[in-house]
Amino acid sequence: MRISLRRGLTVPFKGEPSQIVDRNLAVDRIGLLGHDHGPIRAEVLVAAGEQVAVGTPVYRSRARQELLFCAPVSGTVERIEIGARRRFVEMSIIADGEDRRLDFDTSAADTPEGLRSLLLASGQWPALRARPFERIADPDGTPKALFVTAMDTAPHAPDPAPIIAERSQDFARGLAAMLLLTETPVYLCQPDIEPLARSSEHLKVVRFTGLHPAGLVGTHIARLQPPGDGETVWHIGYQDVIAIGHLLNTSRIDPYRIVSLSGPGVDNPRLVQVPLGADLHALARPNLTPGAKTILSGAVTGGRESTFLGRHDRQVTVVPRAPARQHHWLIEALRRVQTAAAFIPTQALEQTLGSGAPVTPLLRALSIGDAEAAQKLGCLHMAEEDLALASYVTGGTTDFGQKLRRVLDELEAGA
Amino acid sequence: MMGGVWHRDTISWLIVAAALPAAVAAVGTFGPLALGHMLLALAVIVFWQLVFLWSRAQPVSPIAIVTAIAVGVLAPGEFAPWQIVLAASFGTVIGEQVFGGWGRNIVNAAVAMLAFLYFAFPQTTIPGGGQLLALAVIPGALMLLVTGVLSWQVVLSAVVGTITVSLGLGENPMTVFASGSMVFGLVFLVGDPVASSATRAGRWIYGFLAGALLALLGWTDTGFDGPQAIIFACLVASLLAPLIDAGVIAATRRFWRPYNG
Repeated sequence: MRISLRRGLTVPFKGEPSQIVDRNLAVDRIGLLGHDHGPIRAEVLVAAGEQVAVGTPVYRSRARQELLFCAPVSGTVERIEIGARRRFVEMSIIADGEDRRLDFDTSAADTPEGLRSLLLASGQWPALRARPFERIADPDGTPKALFVTAMDTAPHAPDPAPIIAERSQDFARGLAAMLLLTETPVYLCQPDIEPLARSSEHLKVVRFTGLHPAGLVGTHIARLQPPGDGETVWHIGYQDVIAIGHLLNTSRIDPYRIVSLSGPGVDNPRLVQVPLGADLHALARPNLTPGAKTILSGAVTGGRESTFLGRHDRQVTVVPRAPARQHHWLIEALRRVQTAAAFIPTQALEQTLGSGAPVTPLLRALSIGDAEAAQKLGCLHMAEEDLALASYVTGGTTDFGQKLRRVLDELEAGA
Repeated sequence: MMGGVWHRDTISWLIVAAALPAAVAAVGTFGPLALGHMLLALAVIVFWQLVFLWSRAQPVSPIAIVTAIAVGVLAPGEFAPWQIVLAASFGTVIGEQVFGGWGRNIVNAAVAMLAFLYFAFPQTTIPGGGQLLALAVIPGALMLLVTGVLSWQVVLSAVVGTITVSLGLGENPMTVFASGSMVFGLVFLVGDPVASSATRAGRWIYGFLAGALLALLGWTDTGFDGPQAIIFACLVASLLAPLIDAGVIAATRRFWRPYNG
């Protein structure tokens, strides 16, 4: 199947990465972030100063004890931060550079139950996310459909095709595992190139063409299978599928991801191979151009300023930080107290959503926090990344992703 | 998180730039009277923006310049200064500021202003702009279309609506498009992204409605010698825009439901 999207925008932007992967980057510190998976009441399984290997479980969810989160590097736990109501906030680990990896028992992974427990035990399960609400998939649940995203249209995103081609065996094994995971349709969403797998009744290969947001999973879900009341769809990125394939092929987890290090603030933008949660400041520092910078985990649209690489981000974008301008004190005071200005619903906004939802009414509902209206307008199968382009087009003064999260939280609490 | 090029203020400056040729053409056609009205209206609008900035912390916006230009272009009659001050105050306060400033208003401030002026002081005759003004609007309109500020659906369906109703009444639609006031109003007032419909299908309906009303009011009532037809058409269409949107959304949801189970 081939779907071509007419809407979309190019984001003109300097610092295009060269598609050659730099694998010689030593990362000496990584961080796991609570922001990546939403509020989880955590039971921490290690203490600060303790030694961990790649794959050592470091914390788990109190509500779902089998949902483990594992260390992506071997080294020493440096700092653990738990927020209000035992919510996991952040954990940092100093890497020792030895790359000791735990072995997992993959013998039972040819049954659906065995596969699920292996993915949970090895900390690979959190790669699967569910919509509505964009949370970690329910380990006991069955989705209405599973989306494997093998494309990325975000500005400066790494090209998935060579990454998958290089590790085609792991990818095929991971994809087979996804098919084992659920009996409902599995959609492999890929760019308009040779099919990455053979279509069947169960696995549907869909080729998408068009500008960003054609590569976002939210667009694919809206086109192929929007979840109805009480239904969920799951989705997973291509690099996580490769990592799961690697685990099944070798019994060891693959904590490395290929991310692009790009933007106008980097002197040699390129792809780099780094462990999950890599320290972005240490990563970017040798390559920065002079001047103050903002380091974003994620694309220039929708990326967030962060110390560590986000669990689901495949991009690091460095942009110059605009110096704070000094105004007259009265102007400054008036500017600061101003209420949030309304966005202007220009025609350009129509290009920003991949789904058929009416953009302006949706954004208006989100900006006043009207959860009921936003739900009616189709916000349930969206996530922050789907609205990043809308925030960009309206000048970035309102972060609609954040507004959406607030509305989703409200709907989730009421559900 | 980085903002793109269409920041709120950028959009308003774009519209200002697009309206400048029309402003120059209007001053050329109507003389210093139009310029005087523009400057007076601008002073009044800025005053009210500052009042609302001070009292309600509402952001000020350069869109005031476009509103002021609209007053100069569409009300170049022999109005007394106090009449302009009154109309501009009414338009900017009731049309825009009480709703929370530009972006939250339901009718364009200039439309509210001019409707007030025409209703309150009907004895003043107002000349309409000619072809020079119409031509001066075109480059700005193209610029707004290319930069994605103006909706091409609204413009196109408004033109279609005007032609349809004009032909239906047995009149020549080119008379409408030869009038500079009508073309200016179609681009800057009917096409105002804030006050027009916000859904895709809604934009077609809204534009058609505005165009149809323009032709209907112009041919049957006010004529095309003055600018009244476009203002009243735009006023009615903007007031109906939220209703059109609600209808479109309700219809789309009915169409969606089978998928959503």
